[in-house]
Amino acid sequence: MSGEEEENASELKLGEDFVKAKCLMNGEVAMILEHRLEQLQQVSDDPLNQMPQVFEKSLQYVKRFSRYKNPDAVRQVREILSRHELAEFELSVLGNLCPETVEEAIAMVPSLKDKGRDLDDEAIEKMLTDLALVKKFE
Amino acid sequence: MFFHIILERNMQLHPRHFGPRLRDKLVSKLMKDVEGTCSGRHGFVVAIMGIEHVGKGLIRDGTGFVTFPVKYKCVVFRPFKGEILEAVVTMVNKMGFFAEAGPVQVFVSNHLIPDDMEFQSADTPNYTTSDNSVKIQKDSEVRLKIIGTRVDATEIFCIGTIKDDFLGVISDPGAAS
Repeated sequence: MSGEEEENASELKLGEDFVKAKCLMNGEVAMILEHRLEQLQQVSDDPLNQMPQVFEKSLQYVKRFSRYKNPDAVRQVREILSRHELAEFELSVLGNLCPETVEEAIAMVPSLKDKGRDLDDEAIEKMLTDLALVKKFE
Repeated sequence: MFFHIILERNMQLHPRHFGPRLRDKLVSKLMKDVEGTCSGRHGFVVAIMGIEHVGKGLIRDGTGFVTFPVKYKCVVFRPFKGEILEAVVTMVNKMGFFAEAGPVQVFVSNHLIPDDMEFQSADTPNYTTSDNSVKIQKDSEVRLKIIGTRVDATEIFCIGTIKDDFLGVISDPGAAS
């Protein structure tokens, strides 16, 4: 269990199974799960009943907490964030929580301020403004 | 956090399923077996997205069952220590409160709720600041930080805190009324 102890998301230590994995923002998960539900609807009248509780709870959760409802907006958010050389995990946290100030963004994702990263406050500010714009024009 | 990862599983199939629809059978059995399960290592398997690779089957001695190694893509939910996420409050008591973030339960002890919030045992138990401006009750949405996880065979529990900058209530169901 030594690997378990070292896990820490604020330092981007996710363990070997998850470092290569793709992180998904809530909006993306909502798209995936709703698509899955539509497929099931074609073969069954009461599709949610056939899915385990984990599926249902996850779907409710991502629908409730997705800041961006529209699939194009979700795509734009990923596009904007991926211009900034963020790790997958950082990108998804920012996309999910949509911090409004630089200070808040750094509190949510402390690794933004790690040494050796070419990301100053201005760049973060610019990124947050771009995100807010997507939300505004959604 | 939700992840898109590739997992592997050895599937046992009865010989009566062998035929042109073998692969379909394998996929539907995989969904039935794996979706909704939880392991400490990979978290909750929410949905299978597709099959990456089906390896060569191996006949088991004595039974006739065949084992296929199957690699599949799936969406999992795995909470991490240090992660900040949003959750819905499900229960409030004097010990603290429980919240749900997707499939996972998070407990926030009253030691990890800001000191200026007091427990009130009204009809709907809640934590409220002295000036009544902030209230945590059932169905409130909170932003919290996970500080610990406990894993058992089929479930993951988390301990969270809202005693830090930019954490706490984001919306209160009672505020509108």
